[in-house]
Amino acid sequence: MAFHIYFLRRLLFVVPLLFGITIMAFLIANAVPADPVTANLPQNALNDENLVQAFREKWGLDQPLHVQYLTYIGNLLQGDMGRSIKTGRPVIDDIKQFLPATMELATLSIVIGLFLGVGVGIISAVYRNSLIDYVSRIFSLIGVSFPVFVLALIGLAVLYAQLGIVAGPGRLGFRTADPPLVTGFFTVDALLAGDLKTFQEAFSHIILPAFILGSYVAGTIARVTRSSLLEVLGMDYMRTARAKGLGERRVLWHGVRNALIPVVTIIGLSYGNLLAGTVLTESIFAWPGIGRYMFRASTSQDFPAIMGVSMLIAIIYIVVNFVVDMLYFFLDPRIRGEGR
Amino acid sequence: MTTASNAKVAGLPPELGPSRLQLWLRAISFQLRKNPLITLGILIVLGWFLVSLFAPLVATAEPLAQNVTNRLLTPGTTVELSDGSSFTYHMGTDELGRDIFSRVVYGGRITIPAGLAVIIIGSLLGTVIGAIAGYAGGLWDELLMRISELFLAFPTIILALAVTAALGPDLNNAILALVVVWWPTYARLVRSLVLEIKSQEFVEAARSIGASNRYILFRTILPNAIAPAIVLATLDIGNAILTFAGLSFLGLGAEPSSPEWGRMVAIGIDFFDQWWMWLYPGLAIASLVMAFNFIGDGLRDVADPRTRNG
Amino acid sequence: MKLARRLRLLIMIAVFVVSVAMVAAQDEAVLVIGHAESTDSLDPARGYTQTTGIVNRAAYETLVTFPDQDASEILPLLATDWTISEDGTEYTFTLRDGVTFASGNSLTADDVVFTIQRLQNVQGNPSFLASNIESVVANEDGTVTFTLAAARPAFLAELTNNAFSITDAATVMENGGTDAADAAETDAAEVYLNSTSAGTGPYMLESWEPQVETVLVKNPNYWGDEPYYDRVIITNIAEAATQKIALEAGDIDLALDLTRDQVATLEGNENLTVYSGPSVYTHFLLMNADPELGGPVSDPTVQLAIRYALDYEGYKALWGGVTPPTNLTVGLVAAYGEDKAFTRDLDRARELLSEAGYADGFDITLSYPDFTWQGVNMNTNAQKIQADLAEVGINVTLNPGELQVSLEEYRNGDQGFAYWFWGPDILDPIDVISFLPGGKVASERANWMPENAPAEINDLIAQASVETDQAARVELFAQLQDYLQESGAFAPFINPAVQAAYRSDLQGFVYHPQWTLDVAILSLGE
Repeated sequence: MAFHIYFLRRLLFVVPLLFGITIMAFLIANAVPADPVTANLPQNALNDENLVQAFREKWGLDQPLHVQYLTYIGNLLQGDMGRSIKTGRPVIDDIKQFLPATMELATLSIVIGLFLGVGVGIISAVYRNSLIDYVSRIFSLIGVSFPVFVLALIGLAVLYAQLGIVAGPGRLGFRTADPPLVTGFFTVDALLAGDLKTFQEAFSHIILPAFILGSYVAGTIARVTRSSLLEVLGMDYMRTARAKGLGERRVLWHGVRNALIPVVTIIGLSYGNLLAGTVLTESIFAWPGIGRYMFRASTSQDFPAIMGVSMLIAIIYIVVNFVVDMLYFFLDPRIRGEGR
Repeated sequence: MTTASNAKVAGLPPELGPSRLQLWLRAISFQLRKNPLITLGILIVLGWFLVSLFAPLVATAEPLAQNVTNRLLTPGTTVELSDGSSFTYHMGTDELGRDIFSRVVYGGRITIPAGLAVIIIGSLLGTVIGAIAGYAGGLWDELLMRISELFLAFPTIILALAVTAALGPDLNNAILALVVVWWPTYARLVRSLVLEIKSQEFVEAARSIGASNRYILFRTILPNAIAPAIVLATLDIGNAILTFAGLSFLGLGAEPSSPEWGRMVAIGIDFFDQWWMWLYPGLAIASLVMAFNFIGDGLRDVADPRTRNG
Repeated sequence: MKLARRLRLLIMIAVFVVSVAMVAAQDEAVLVIGHAESTDSLDPARGYTQTTGIVNRAAYETLVTFPDQDASEILPLLATDWTISEDGTEYTFTLRDGVTFASGNSLTADDVVFTIQRLQNVQGNPSFLASNIESVVANEDGTVTFTLAAARPAFLAELTNNAFSITDAATVMENGGTDAADAAETDAAEVYLNSTSAGTGPYMLESWEPQVETVLVKNPNYWGDEPYYDRVIITNIAEAATQKIALEAGDIDLALDLTRDQVATLEGNENLTVYSGPSVYTHFLLMNADPELGGPVSDPTVQLAIRYALDYEGYKALWGGVTPPTNLTVGLVAAYGEDKAFTRDLDRARELLSEAGYADGFDITLSYPDFTWQGVNMNTNAQKIQADLAEVGINVTLNPGELQVSLEEYRNGDQGFAYWFWGPDILDPIDVISFLPGGKVASERANWMPENAPAEINDLIAQASVETDQAARVELFAQLQDYLQESGAFAPFINPAVQAAYRSDLQGFVYHPQWTLDVAILSLGE
């Protein structure tokens, strides 16, 4: 199959999905029971019929639901997600402010999870059923069994409060100015600015939450790597490779490359989950990210914000998976109709 | 699915050869002997079941009884009671002077049924939807699968947050929210299994002798699709309990005074120094989830022979 | 050659910039405050939260003010002098000379008129404070005259509120502001005032990043004494435990919202000073007088029984502070002290319940917001209320609501049995009228109407709203409080203490009941 046909075919799936997501986000946001008028107008303004009416008109609350939805979609296509009722700013601006913090955390978590998970997975598979295999499997099982908020509290209590090895909540010390904005990732921006001190501080703040989130991803990745590598190692072409007299190390490398294909999927899935799963972590680590913004929005019936964020995360999730599908095309010969 | 090939090899309707269930049970008992972690997991789960069942006998105090003069006591503190006897707080007391040990003991009565309810209702709902989609095919299949994709595109906690926000925070609503999040995985698994089984000889055979749709779906297809769904469910219990704990951590579970583990950990954010207030309920969640994960991991080996030894 | 020269120049500039930056960084005195931000707006006419109070106290000034530490008297600030007409409805203020705004503009009577009219017309959260002002006029001699609809004994106390912060009319108008009658629709200065201030205070707002931080810098044009700190950063730390950790680590200088249990563990730390003092917030139960909503708790006998059933000493053990005798904040009026407060009497409570026909108790749902205010976790109190009332046979189901949802029900008067807290809008005894029949909380939220009260009580309320003589006021409010204790739809149970902690060399910290904190009076000792 040619790439462009594959690409278009997958894209055809994505477009209706995106539309479905806007509908669902809209329905969820509108299912919230409180009246946004009472929640957001000051008390004395509530007694004024004109003000209440003006507010309803401003947010289109006086229209039937499907009209509200169409208005929303119309604006969305022009890049306008509406204005957050709570912060009074365009939702898109709020997202621009809070998303980089979450993405930085999620990205570093994935990197940590990838290195840890693939490493442990390979060792487990190569030394299958050895002590090291059992120990690493048991540890990863125990690791993924701890609620993230419990691990976060233990991590803070031991590594921060007791030992002082890592920094505490927040992205930077309260006295340190943000590095000049380039990517929005403080560690990267600090390096770009050549500011080692800020980099060190940012790194020391992000490492604990990233490690905690990363260890979850690592557990899954290790498991997939191990089983996938075991499968690959048992396959005919590996035997052929061995029979051809390739060194054991070359054989293993050959195997690992093929075994990592399913890992790509896991990374795609995990990244989307991480973006959302940081709600709990961000609340403990005072991380000014999208998770905390979403939680605040959902507790104040700020539905333009709820819709914006849940849609954004769902879209990122779909796009990441779309990219993973595209990668698969190059990684997995079976899709191209080659191989088997 | 390698499992499907067993029946194919036998070349017989499942009633005549060893049934899938029997094959599974054999594999499980084999694993049980091979994998001590499964046994450990089962023992821990059994332990929690018993502790929860006999909570009034295990607990040393009423889980709701408050005593503000004895608040925030460290674990192991013994106090003199007015009648001259003494009482030991094994795990200390919380901000209202309640005995944490007794609360942890009673906590299993909320979390275990909640986790099981999510899995059972979620997997049943998913199985039914998946079976319909797979069997009916065509437009129904498309529609149901697109809807399940939509649900999957929203990350678990965001969707659950939104649903509980809409329904109001309450134990039943938290379970309902998780069911909403849970069913699509099962629907997709069962659908793929049904599609696979549908095309097999014994189904064709049943159809050719004029069996009704209902008979085919419920008597021949579903029994063969159910085992993988059960494995997935077992693997999933730990995950369901974790997510439920996350929701109650955010204050969206049972009533505030109830000894719910996630909620008990949440108060630890305010009482960071009083580690016993959040560590013990946290360990309770972890041990239970770990036990289910041990069992699930062993079962996965049954389901996925690639990782099996050999 | 050319390249080398350019390079050298570049390096020199770089070195210069870096060293200037370093010098600036070293010389700047910076104060970092950890605080659970509640800012709704920094526009004085729109913001009405605790954080707004702290920021605008630094960036703006009012005509009159309270002393640094309490609300015991009215002091001049932007007004040096004032006269009150015989009938108590006309106040004329003489403005201080030589006061300039941060912009350099001079303060005039027109700025005062603009400020008041804008406050009234934008219909913001605090606008109700100005609803009794009929007109404001700039006189030819530079003074300003306020005309009130009726005599108002608490008027000067109201003027101390930061909603009455005098703003720079020219600057605000340049940035979309207006004081016209339709200002609620047309005023567009909020965005500007959320990023910059336009006041006469010792500081200027440099930036506000919602839920992240608020930065104040010195106002170079300030008329009064220069404050100590060049820069004040109020960083948002929502969780009290995190504030405490950050303080111990030296990341912040001052933690504003600690709990009582946290400061207890700080007591031994000699690098830190702990502050614990009374707050003006009263936590209370609301028992709806409408039988349809309140059910059994609408019965005055049951209401009294519940007041006897609460474990007042227990709440003090939890939060410190004092037991309020009524919803009138302790210390505002000499008549009623903590000695008049209820003490728990379970037998009396049971007796009253059987008198009301509930010898076997009853089931009821308690609604409240899932919220922590100034270190007081309402969930904890609700659980204690549940346990307290269980002892007299009242079986309470807890119904915590998300703050906005619960607030909506409360404001609409839909809650039958509820737990809320109240901070006075005005630091004056007159605030208690909100809790008497016809008052805001009593009528709108508890459906406790004037017709539910005897005529003589309604007369007393009417007198108390206008009486200005101190002795007569004490007498009136004492009688009203007697009535509230016996028949109120409310059961106030704790005025919790507020806790803060700061590095030991920080000087001048005072917790003010009105504006919480005045950063301009803080300094660093040796």
